[in-house]
Amino acid sequence: MNRQPPLVIDNGTGYTKMGFAGNSEPSFVFPTVIATHQSSSSGPTTQSTGGRAPPPVAGKPGHLASKRGIEDLDFYIGDEAVANSKTYSLHYPIRHGQIENWDHMERFWEQCIFKYLRAEPEDHYVLLTEPPLNPPENRENTAEIMFESFNVQGLYIAVQAVLALAASWTSSKVNERTLTGVVIDSGDGVTHTIPVAEGYVIGSSIKAIPIAGRDITYFVQQFLRDRGESAAIPSEDQLKVAEKIKEDYTYVCQDIVKEFKKYDADPYRYFARFAGEHSVTGRKYDLDIGYERFLAPEIFFNPEIYSSDFLTPLPEVVDTVIQTSPIDVRRGLYKNIVLSGGSTMFKDFGKRLQRDVKAIVDGRIAGSEQRSGGLIKSSGVEVNVISHKRQRYAVWYGGSLMASTPEFYNVSHSRVDYEEYGPSLVRRFSVFGSAV
Amino acid sequence: MILLESRNTVINDVLLDRFEKPSRMDIQFVDYDNVRFHLSTADSKTVILLSMGIQCWPDLIKYGAREHLQKEYAGLVLPPNETEPEYDVTLSIDLEKLPPTAEERSALVQKLALFKSTAMSAPFLAAFAEQAQLQSSYKEPAGAQQFELPPAESQGELKIIKYREEEAMFIQARHDRVTVIFSTVFKEETDRVYGRVFLQEFVDARRLQSLQSAPQVTYSNREPPLEIRHVPGLKNGEDWGYVTFVLFPRHFANPTQALSTIHRIQLFRDYLHYHIKCSKAYMHSRMRARVAEFLKVLNRAKPEVATAERKTASGRTFQRR
Amino acid sequence: MSNTLRPYLNAVRATLTAALTLDNFASQQVERHNKPEVEIHTSPEVLLLPLIVSRNESERVLIEPSVNSLRLSIAIKQADEIEKILCHKFTRFMMMRAEGFIILRRKPLPGYDISFLITNFHSESMLKHKLVDFIIQFMEDVDKEISEMKLSLNARARIVAESYLSTVS
Repeated sequence: MNRQPPLVIDNGTGYTKMGFAGNSEPSFVFPTVIATHQSSSSGPTTQSTGGRAPPPVAGKPGHLASKRGIEDLDFYIGDEAVANSKTYSLHYPIRHGQIENWDHMERFWEQCIFKYLRAEPEDHYVLLTEPPLNPPENRENTAEIMFESFNVQGLYIAVQAVLALAASWTSSKVNERTLTGVVIDSGDGVTHTIPVAEGYVIGSSIKAIPIAGRDITYFVQQFLRDRGESAAIPSEDQLKVAEKIKEDYTYVCQDIVKEFKKYDADPYRYFARFAGEHSVTGRKYDLDIGYERFLAPEIFFNPEIYSSDFLTPLPEVVDTVIQTSPIDVRRGLYKNIVLSGGSTMFKDFGKRLQRDVKAIVDGRIAGSEQRSGGLIKSSGVEVNVISHKRQRYAVWYGGSLMASTPEFYNVSHSRVDYEEYGPSLVRRFSVFGSAV
Repeated sequence: MILLESRNTVINDVLLDRFEKPSRMDIQFVDYDNVRFHLSTADSKTVILLSMGIQCWPDLIKYGAREHLQKEYAGLVLPPNETEPEYDVTLSIDLEKLPPTAEERSALVQKLALFKSTAMSAPFLAAFAEQAQLQSSYKEPAGAQQFELPPAESQGELKIIKYREEEAMFIQARHDRVTVIFSTVFKEETDRVYGRVFLQEFVDARRLQSLQSAPQVTYSNREPPLEIRHVPGLKNGEDWGYVTFVLFPRHFANPTQALSTIHRIQLFRDYLHYHIKCSKAYMHSRMRARVAEFLKVLNRAKPEVATAERKTASGRTFQRR
Repeated sequence: MSNTLRPYLNAVRATLTAALTLDNFASQQVERHNKPEVEIHTSPEVLLLPLIVSRNESERVLIEPSVNSLRLSIAIKQADEIEKILCHKFTRFMMMRAEGFIILRRKPLPGYDISFLITNFHSESMLKHKLVDFIIQFMEDVDKEISEMKLSLNARARIVAESYLSTVS
């Protein structure tokens, strides 16, 4: 019998990416949100103290489960949940990368597997992802759900950053397959800089930056408003237009002053026009896109133009992260800085980052050479920022890559093991060898 | 979601998208019961190949699955020698020869998304046809005949479809009915217990006034039912069960009715297992709530620690965590 | 509440309250160790007579007191296969979370479904009568929960079967 491909499910705070191992793109990408019926929203957390009300069922029947008893099946996930938000209440089971509401998450998975992937979990291995520094209790709970509710054949819980590293092996710039490197994971809500040494996350050096995709969108929106362009945009579309501009028109410049001069010298060449259509009335409108084309992603490099509380540029954060890591892996980390997530997709983002980090490193080397009085010469430190085609869904792609290797079946926890050891099994952490 | 859908979401989504803007792809995915799909563009990006690998293909082909597919997807099915290796049947969709209107296109996508169901429905349709034939040639013997065993020639061929590694589906036509038998196995103790509760309800449900017209369901644990007892290699044991659906001609009176019956029956096993799993999930959330409540009771036993405000020398307050 | 449950719970409550007279007692075998004597069984002179309170064949409570610890094991009513599996699931689920239930033993005694281990440290830091209340409430609720779960399983099964069959008719 042909073995069925493992399921790869990457549940992020904002979006869930899922599909089958071996593919290059997830089959489904939708928001990690679950819409339950209003009255059935009482999780164990919101239960009244004195009441002994039976858990999350009860309440008015929805149109789907109009019969008493299976109200817990009356819910939607992902885009359908958003579409039904008028009659249902939305819940986000994952916060800050970690699962907060297990009841919702279990049901979320239920539909992921049966409605979307249409797989009988008994026939499949499953690869799930977890954020760095996930408490082991969470892994245990996950294993309990996967093995006991869904009877999966086997389970592997991978750290997102490690998968992102594995995904970078597709890049032509990478010639050795190593699991050592710094992952810059920038999604919608937050940007993380995570050092990984030989497949193990260096937890103490992780740094989070409160600037990510959503901030860039706001920044673009602010530009439009300041220039008065937004008068043309219907108010309900403002955010959408800003997002569209961010995705389609922006890029990272190499020198901000030169870029300004270039624009001023020949505005017609660089300013772009954006044509939009009112989503309801169909009225057409268009507007100019100016400096925000290169200024929007610039907030990673010069955060002072956007925020007043966080002022450390991304290259500096990367450098700090590496400098606080153990000294014997620093070279490896500088050599392999990997981008992952949608907000690292700006054109030339990697190039600029590499240049800036290199400048910091070279500056420090020059300084120490000078202090040694010219007695010590450094051989230099190699700085490489890897960007590749699969960057947007890097974590998922890395998972797909790993789960399609024969080795995957050896490192994942099988059903037999689970029956023998119980959920504590997943505390044991096995990393993929770097030679796949 | 109570009922499972018959159509495959991935086929549906991907094709809807590619019909609009063709691009290269190479996607592998699955469906219930060990069905594998492969969507790819081989030579040019306007020709999409959709291949299906289905475990029970050798059984299906005996009951005319290929012919049925050829009828349903006229002009799309590739001959066996052009079928993609490792798969059993391949459809080729030329994006340049799509129907012009949007409605026709979406109808085509709908139809393609039912690829697996269509292939699996061949033996059912064959059985339905057999039943019609038997019925017309069946002569009502005078007098009360229900105590006699029906003569052998009034039985259709017993069709066996091994749709999973260990489980099979048996279809047999009689002059007045079509019997569908599923052999089921539960790998785990909990599933077995839950499964038995569910199956018992399937048997009992027909007592309901509103469900009088539903197919009759019987369930036997361990022992295979009489109809298939002669089949070699049947297992019986604590984990095994046999579910019998008796379909009467009214369940497949017209093509639409027949089709919807077929689609439902096919998914019976998946439906059962889906709901067993959902019940387990529901039990989990119940237990979570209950455990949280017990914890609250236990924590009442801990005396309240007086949190006196502490002050540093400089007069600032601090809290120890 | 059935008329045999009340005396049963009362008996458990009285016995437990009486048995919960625990004192700090250092190990006599190893210096500077302090272990629950009821678990290690090395000094028979500090163990007290174990006692079983039994309601019927399937429901009983074993209380094993000792000088510094008390072990309480409960056998929960299991009328049929379904209750058995639900009971097993539930106790297992709880024991998985034993960290939070400070007095819960991670494994039940053989022959019982769930065990608690109360040491003098627990009885010193927590209110004794509330601990007893917890045990009693647990015993009350667990039966209720299991029968409720069984009912809801049956109800679900019925709806599932009906909605399936109603689409084929």
